[in-house]
Amino acid sequence: MTKLSKRGLILGGAALATAVFAGGALLNSAPAEAAVQTGAAAPAFSVRDASGATRTLAEFSGRTVVLEWTNHGCPYVRKHYDAGAMQALQRDAIGNGVVWLQVISSAPGEQGYLDGAGVRERLAADNAAPSATLLDPTGVMGRAYGARTTPHMYIINPQGRIVYQGAIDDRPSARPSTLEGATNYVRSALADLEAGRPVAVSDTTPYGCTVKYAD
Amino acid sequence: MITRLRTILVMLAAAWVAIATPAAAQPVNSGNVEGELHSARAAISPGETFTIALRTRINDGWHTYWRNPGDSGEPTELTWSAPTGYQIGALQWPAPEPAPFAGIINYGYHGEVLYPIEVRAPANARVGERVTFTAAAYWLVCSDICIPEEATLTLTLPVEAQGRDDPAWAPRIAAAIAALPRREAGVEARVTAGTPVRLSVTIPNMGEVRNPHFFPFSRDVMAHSEPQAPRVGEAGLSFTIPPGVARDLGSAPLEGVITFEQRESGAWARRALEIAAAPGEAPAGVDAAAASFSADYPLAELEGASAPPVAAPPMDAAALIAALGLAFLAGLVLNVMPCVLPVLSVKALAFAHGAQTGQARRHGLLYLAGVMAAFLPLAGVLIALRAGGEALGWGFHLQAPWVISGLALLFFSIGLNLLGVFEIGGGLQNAGGALASRGGDAGAFFTGVLAVVAATPCTAPFMGGAVGAVLTQDAGTTLLIFAALGLGFAAPLTLLHFAPALQRFIPKPGPWMEKVKHVLAFPMLVTAALLVWVLSEQAGSAGVLALLVLAVALAFALMVARWGRVWLAAGVVILVVAGAFVWRPLAGVETQQVLAHEPWSAARVAELRSEGRPVFVNFTAAWCATCKVNEGAALSSARVAAAFTQANVAYLQGDWTNRDDAIAAALAEHGRAGVPLYLFYPTDGRAPIVLPQLLSERLIIETISGAAS
Repeated sequence: MTKLSKRGLILGGAALATAVFAGGALLNSAPAEAAVQTGAAAPAFSVRDASGATRTLAEFSGRTVVLEWTNHGCPYVRKHYDAGAMQALQRDAIGNGVVWLQVISSAPGEQGYLDGAGVRERLAADNAAPSATLLDPTGVMGRAYGARTTPHMYIINPQGRIVYQGAIDDRPSARPSTLEGATNYVRSALADLEAGRPVAVSDTTPYGCTVKYAD
Repeated sequence: MITRLRTILVMLAAAWVAIATPAAAQPVNSGNVEGELHSARAAISPGETFTIALRTRINDGWHTYWRNPGDSGEPTELTWSAPTGYQIGALQWPAPEPAPFAGIINYGYHGEVLYPIEVRAPANARVGERVTFTAAAYWLVCSDICIPEEATLTLTLPVEAQGRDDPAWAPRIAAAIAALPRREAGVEARVTAGTPVRLSVTIPNMGEVRNPHFFPFSRDVMAHSEPQAPRVGEAGLSFTIPPGVARDLGSAPLEGVITFEQRESGAWARRALEIAAAPGEAPAGVDAAAASFSADYPLAELEGASAPPVAAPPMDAAALIAALGLAFLAGLVLNVMPCVLPVLSVKALAFAHGAQTGQARRHGLLYLAGVMAAFLPLAGVLIALRAGGEALGWGFHLQAPWVISGLALLFFSIGLNLLGVFEIGGGLQNAGGALASRGGDAGAFFTGVLAVVAATPCTAPFMGGAVGAVLTQDAGTTLLIFAALGLGFAAPLTLLHFAPALQRFIPKPGPWMEKVKHVLAFPMLVTAALLVWVLSEQAGSAGVLALLVLAVALAFALMVARWGRVWLAAGVVILVVAGAFVWRPLAGVETQQVLAHEPWSAARVAELRSEGRPVFVNFTAAWCATCKVNEGAALSSARVAAAFTQANVAYLQGDWTNRDDAIAAALAEHGRAGVPLYLFYPTDGRAPIVLPQLLSERLIIETISGAAS
């Protein structure tokens, strides 16, 4: 063993040992899950949609974007789809120039997970028509937004800021009978935006099933 | 239509049950839950008030929900069809359990649950008849997925002149009632505005308590999935209440249930209290120390992440061995430090050549003893410091922002030290040198001691890590880790005394050692960078800025220190001044606004004024230092918060961090081109009062109260 390589070895080993030892103190401090504040810039994302194309937030700049976290097996999601309420809202919004993105953050093997073909089948079965369905099986996008439930709704204004986040309506129940007389927060927020008013109700507590994230 | 049909079906079912079953009730299985109604009375008499109970048995691995389900889910619901004249009260909810799942927290039940329900029979109930109560039950039952389930439950009871208890169910229902969370005398609760908002509860006969948690009745009032950092004192408990979407947290009463375990004659008993906290000052004696949690407590991990108990759970065997191995390795590495190797090389040569084998071995062991004699007192000092800290009520919360900041600054300065920006311990090294240069046994012993002292400038990096690892450990573990560090440090030279032939493997001292030192600086700086990132999660951009300012001031002070005392004094003054300006976000209590605010808009101001509320407007921006000083000091004060609450002042904030024409126009309207601008709109419709750019607590309070009177 030459002197130089011996020193190199010591040097490398020492640096490694120091890094490991010093880093040990940090092992316990995991970062908190990020949740976005209403009024703050919406987190950028880059995920594949059901057709396999990569979609980013940037491509919708200048337009109002609705994000709908969904899980087709969740009874709360079913309440809104089986009655046709969610589909009607999607069509009205898209008719007004809004971009409507479904997001599926269920991990493979968990309830609600779908691949591209599965999404197309599900949309046809539900007669749903979002602008696109984003597949987030790793949960990166869901965690960036702090999505907790299905449904969990976000509205991003044309300037890229979050102007609404929370529940779909004011009836936190899976019972279909609760649709009647409910105030749909997304519908009211979109109406406020359309009329150029600030969004009156901008933060609500989301309700529904938990998002089935990967561990 | 469907609802009506269902009602008819329910009635028919009830009628059928009433006719067909002489027994009181039958369990109904809805899939994952079995439900049944029971009565504490086998027979009821006219006019009496009695208790029935909904009993649910939930399949293993599934849960149903409390009245506030938490982050997701839905409470169990009963819809009654009662015979005429019977008054049926609401479901009474037993104390919930927290159920964490994938980052969110639900409140609910598993296993068997008894919900008492009060019923009053009418005075004109006919003796001899049988009455049937029917409930359409709805519960959401979840494991990793959720299923809404329904069941129709019935209960039939005879009306007799003399009511009588059901021998099986009267005691069980009485026990369920006794276990319900209820308000108790001497339990006073206060919610205190601030950052964070704290909930304090006095508890008579506090004793030893663990696993405390607060469950609010309202879903919106707080975030359910964040740590509550509970603390205990001799008079009661306190909790951090992380804000939810409701805007009146801290100024409105806060209602809910607290649960905790209390040690009673050696065993832990769960208690639940209903509380209604009025806004106000926290009582004394409720936050002396962080609460402790048992290992099987579902929220232990969550709470541990924010405020670990003062005594961390001891390391398991594998972690301990790994830590000892690393400490030994770190000790070995110390030998090639530029401040150590030259001393050792000279001594190694002297011992290896000059002494006979027996004497060399004795010197080797003496050297080892010397090293240990220097290392173990260091461990002792650390243990003593920790004990002292605990006695004073300081917890070493490794996740507290000020501790993270302190560690980041420590690693940063170690990096600077390794890069040669400054040096420490010179005087000590000289003192030791005289002792070590003596020959013989004493020389060998003091070479060991000296080597440790000489290593001080180089040991700091490893000590930093070791201190981090042992800070939350017990004294025994601390001693072991330091002993391993010492053994590793002493090992090469001690071995050399036993086998001088090994000497050819010892690298010669030279300028390359400086390279080792410089390279080692970078893991230190990386560690500091990681700590800054951790802090950014805890204290946001304000915290990061504060830390970086401190780091720059510290670097300056360290660099100029070697130019003489005057420079050192100047450096320290700069560091202290910088610290005085920026410490708040790092203290861990001032990371957010104390006052709840909503975004400013001219329309909102007009609306609030039309409601007759005074309005305080703060035009601010993230890049505005004056704004941050005001928000960190005067606008964060609890007394200002109280004054706002008392006068019902609405607090609006216009954030000019990014360009905003509406805000620019509002600034121009008051003759300003930039922020900060503070406006107070009194209730009488007068023009707004423009406050000065530098606020004080007194000024704000006087402005508000002056305008109000």
